[in-house]
Amino acid sequence: MFSTGSKYFFGLSVLGAISFAVYMLLIGESAIGATALFGLVAAAGLLTALVLFTRDGDAGEEGIAASTAAPTQSMWPLIGVIGATLLLVGTITSAVITLLGVVVLLAAIIEWTVLSWSERASSDAAFNASLRKRLLNPIEFPVLAAVGLGVVIFSFSRITLAVDKSVGASAFIAVGALVLAAGVLFSLRPNVKRGIVIGVCVVGAVAIVAAGIAGLGVGVREELVLAKEEGHYTHQECGAEESEHFDKLPLEGISATASVVATITLAEGKLVASVQGIAGEQNSITIPRSNPSNIVFHNATEGEYRLVANLGKKMVTDGVNEDVVQCTQLIPQDAEQLLTLTIPKPAMAGAPYTLTIPGLAGQSIEVIVP
Amino acid sequence: MRRRIVGACAGLTTTLFLAGCATNAPQDTWQPKGPNAQKIDNLQKPVFAVAGIIGVIVTVAIITAVIKFRDKGQPIPHQSHGNPALEITLTIIPALILTVVGVFTFRTVFDLAKTSDTEMIINVTGQQWWWEYDYPVQNEFGITQPIITSGQLVIPAGTKVLLRQTSRDVIHSYWIPALNGKRDAVPGRVHLNRIEADKPGIYAGQCTEFCGLSHANMRMEAVALSKEDFAKWVANQLKPYASPAENTLAKEGETVFMNQCVRCHQVNGMKRADGTPVIAAPDENVVSGAAPNLSHLMSRNTFAGATFDLLNKTCREDVWTAGSESFGAKYLSGVSEDCLNQSDLRGWLRNAPAMKPMYANPALLASTGGKYRGMPNLGLTESDIEKLVAYLLTLK
Repeated sequence: MFSTGSKYFFGLSVLGAISFAVYMLLIGESAIGATALFGLVAAAGLLTALVLFTRDGDAGEEGIAASTAAPTQSMWPLIGVIGATLLLVGTITSAVITLLGVVVLLAAIIEWTVLSWSERASSDAAFNASLRKRLLNPIEFPVLAAVGLGVVIFSFSRITLAVDKSVGASAFIAVGALVLAAGVLFSLRPNVKRGIVIGVCVVGAVAIVAAGIAGLGVGVREELVLAKEEGHYTHQECGAEESEHFDKLPLEGISATASVVATITLAEGKLVASVQGIAGEQNSITIPRSNPSNIVFHNATEGEYRLVANLGKKMVTDGVNEDVVQCTQLIPQDAEQLLTLTIPKPAMAGAPYTLTIPGLAGQSIEVIVP
Repeated sequence: MRRRIVGACAGLTTTLFLAGCATNAPQDTWQPKGPNAQKIDNLQKPVFAVAGIIGVIVTVAIITAVIKFRDKGQPIPHQSHGNPALEITLTIIPALILTVVGVFTFRTVFDLAKTSDTEMIINVTGQQWWWEYDYPVQNEFGITQPIITSGQLVIPAGTKVLLRQTSRDVIHSYWIPALNGKRDAVPGRVHLNRIEADKPGIYAGQCTEFCGLSHANMRMEAVALSKEDFAKWVANQLKPYASPAENTLAKEGETVFMNQCVRCHQVNGMKRADGTPVIAAPDENVVSGAAPNLSHLMSRNTFAGATFDLLNKTCREDVWTAGSESFGAKYLSGVSEDCLNQSDLRGWLRNAPAMKPMYANPALLASTGGKYRGMPNLGLTESDIEKLVAYLLTLK
């Protein structure tokens, strides 16, 4: 199937690609080195395609017979042109479009090359088609499935960002239930016509993609726009609230909220700590210095409260010190918020680090940094 | 040729077999010294036996088939496809074996994850390439102030200790084979690991998650003391700092320490001449933001992430080979001038990166904003080293 020359150049291409990857990983970006190695990959790849196409210039009787057959129609030149256009447009607009152009162009080159090569494999068109399928289907099917799923997921994400949070959750549950129901139905009725299965899947996917496009047109819901403008995912002012729109449930990432060293609870006017691995309520927590430590503040008291971490003082100019504090936002009853503390040094004698609630006298949790 | 191959195989097998007879193997996973490690041992031995028997049966079957039915020019035998009875049997038997193993494995896993019976808590923080231990206040053990140490984890024997593990930089893994299985220390997470030692003694371990250049040098030792000896150890750790007497070499060493070492290393209670406390700033100099706290350094037997011994060979052997009754007293005597491993300690002070690779080359710190990953070469003079050694010996 593969001629001697094509194996050589293919090997050279792979070697060049590995060298390019290793070079980029170990040595880092370098205009000269990276360009040279990428040039090698591109040149060797082109030669591979040419040698495959010409079968090392050894036509043979079969080849001569095959070459006399007219090539079938192909959409790949058109797709290749689209890819090249995207690549050019991307160079002056966005890196994402460039990348898309590269992917489309590469796909078109590979598909077109293999198609042309397979059409000259023999004078039997059916055999040639099976040869192409044998080579490309193991790549085409997973790639197309991934792209298709990606498009559906991306479309669905546009829907959930556009509609109200609870509507988005309901839509997610509804779509999930429909997919499950369809799956169960198809498995219980194995004799159902193939066309019906394909039709249902296509209609479902098209509906989601269409709704996604509509969502893209509508844009994200207003509260998210305002939240982004206010930067509420990052600010934690200790003074007057600067934000009207913020999520009063634990913020930050799931991994952070899933791994907390302590939960500080304000219950019935009393501040207590529960520490992972230690039984019972605590009035102090120990955290290692210079290490980000996640603390969750849970407000179990009526009214809005915030937790304040009092972390000593720092010198701002000669002789002038200012308090180092970190706060959660004001959170209502039964809400929680995360506070990540990174304390580089132990507290000075007589001035311990504490967690307190403004306006609540006599309640504090000591933060010990050994 | 055939004789040579047979001879080589026999030699290799004998070598592997004899390797199992090593006596000086402190990290032997087959010698549990505490109830948690014993639980693992109780599981792994029968599983190993079952797996071994199956392995031998499969190997013998394959070798027999390969030899007996090798191509000798005979005609290809009748090819049959499918044998439901055999296939079902060969599916059910492994499934049953795995189910039984699974039941006992799950039971052991849940037993080892239990924390409700914890008697003592120690926070363990890993960083490249050493372990820090801090003991929160626990009045029942006499720990009235937090204790911080490194290299050697000191625990009371016969006590259920819960380690709360985390990491300051990359993923590490804490493993004292004689006391329990391994447990990762992951940045941003607290993982719980229970250990308990039956008897007083030293139990060696090593970081078991590749964590960078000196991963192989990230060792640890758990020191189990009797409850009485542990109380003495705690009392010693809580002793206030005593500055060396004036006009001594150690006092000059304290000045060198304040000028050089305190940039990263804390000695609790140390004060400057004007009475202000000396606070180390490893967060400004080291990537992990921490360096070992050297308070009571000479109460430990190791330094530099337990890579090197503070005790010389004779004294170390004396402690390691001591019986349970005399071990505590020997360990608590700490490091005297006679027992100090002068060679390694001076070598370390002279040029630490030469003894333990630590990305400490100042020319290669651009990616870390000028911060070191370990102790750099401080360029100390021999005179400074002399003074520092004298000072460090006072940190008992």
